[in-house]
Amino acid sequence: MKDFYEQLIEHDLNPYLLFDSNGKVKSYNKEAEFLLNFVSIKELFQLAVSNASLNFGFNHKYVSLKYNKQSYYAILVGYANDDEIALRLYKVVSNSTHTIKDEKLKLVNIFSLIDLSKNSTLLHSKLEIDELYDISIPEVKVNINDFLLCLNECFTIFKHKEKISLQVYIKTGEYEIINQKKCKIVALEFKSEQNLSFDKSTEKILENKALTSNANIFFDHNSLKLELPIIL
Amino acid sequence: MNKFIAKSESSIKLLNIAQMSSSLPVNILIIGSKGVGKKILAQNILPDASIFDAKTLEDTLIAKTANIEEYLEIIVTNIEQVVNKKEFLERLPNIKVVATTTYLPQEIEASFAVKLDIPPLQERKEDLDELIKIYLQEVKDIYEIKINSEDIEIDLSSNGVSLKKSIFKNSILKSLKDEDMYYSLEQFILNKLREEYNYKDLLEYFEVPLLKAAKKEFKSQLQMANKLQINRITLRKKLEQYSSKLEN
Repeated sequence: MKDFYEQLIEHDLNPYLLFDSNGKVKSYNKEAEFLLNFVSIKELFQLAVSNASLNFGFNHKYVSLKYNKQSYYAILVGYANDDEIALRLYKVVSNSTHTIKDEKLKLVNIFSLIDLSKNSTLLHSKLEIDELYDISIPEVKVNINDFLLCLNECFTIFKHKEKISLQVYIKTGEYEIINQKKCKIVALEFKSEQNLSFDKSTEKILENKALTSNANIFFDHNSLKLELPIIL
Repeated sequence: MNKFIAKSESSIKLLNIAQMSSSLPVNILIIGSKGVGKKILAQNILPDASIFDAKTLEDTLIAKTANIEEYLEIIVTNIEQVVNKKEFLERLPNIKVVATTTYLPQEIEASFAVKLDIPPLQERKEDLDELIKIYLQEVKDIYEIKINSEDIEIDLSSNGVSLKKSIFKNSILKSLKDEDMYYSLEQFILNKLREEYNYKDLLEYFEVPLLKAAKKEFKSQLQMANKLQINRITLRKKLEQYSSKLEN
């Protein structure tokens, strides 16, 4: 029977982690393994500890969390002794499907769009960019207008910085299902040596621009990552 | 079609961006003050496109007196003068628009994926030198006058427009012969006489330039009086009388 519960947790769509008192992970399920790609163990342990109930037992808390593309609406923290604490995160699941209208997409060299946006947005800027491009990326179908507007916004963020790096690469092992086809993902990662502070309104503008150009955008303390499905 | 002068670093970059974006299905906005070359750059991007003044086109679209849908690409000048800019662009679907403006109107920022900001001529020294060379050559070809660029007071208040005007004006003025001067003064005075100017009023048109030139040429009022061979008190009186005009 114990084995059955373990299997149930293992196959759960929501991430589950069990920590020891020092914050080391003792056990986790498949979803948690995936989640750990984007968030540190330390951060999740802190989340569990700071939301644990005062006495032994379980505590539900409704929160709004976002790690990478996935949002979570609640967490469950439980502990029955001083040695172990468990954390379960509840995913926001949407059953809406995203279809991309093909007629507005044009096959284009993504690097020429990056160059165009970079040159026009940074025309009077002194920003130095270290470019690391995977030139094996094929021509991709994109909505040129919307994608350029999104790129312009990204470059504008760094307009007054001195130096950034821009890496363009295909993500390994990650796919998006677009119009019932499995598409690889190309990532454009803008990284600054200094910390970046994105206010909520800037994040919202960028998220909207990314969404209209069929891309996803992710913010980190010193980087900005734009991910676009490779539609051929 | 005129060629966009691209000798300075920023202009070369602008021209490259313009060429890169010319084949893409995106709208392009060219921003810059009067006379920087917005329309010429637009024509370099879409050499075969029809050119419309934005305000006139807006009125035409509202009145539905023209069928704009037959165009695939157009150049729209002075888009900042359109009253309802967003609506105006919505009336131009499926048309590639290259528009010019003196400033970036916020409400249409998202309608243009490529924005080209042309700096004033003063910040593009290499372009300025090239334009001066071209205009001086034009003067030479038309009027057969050879003038050195150092002898010209160039006016960059409206960039290329005022530059051309100042070069032509200066070149013609510097090449005037006595008979040209008599003729032009005669025409000028004739017009003034028709406006009922008298001898005293008209005297100013001789005395002000004379005193201005003398002030430039001679260091002191004493020297001015000596060279012009007039009484120092008379000179002082004249300088006082025209003081406001002499300052200008």
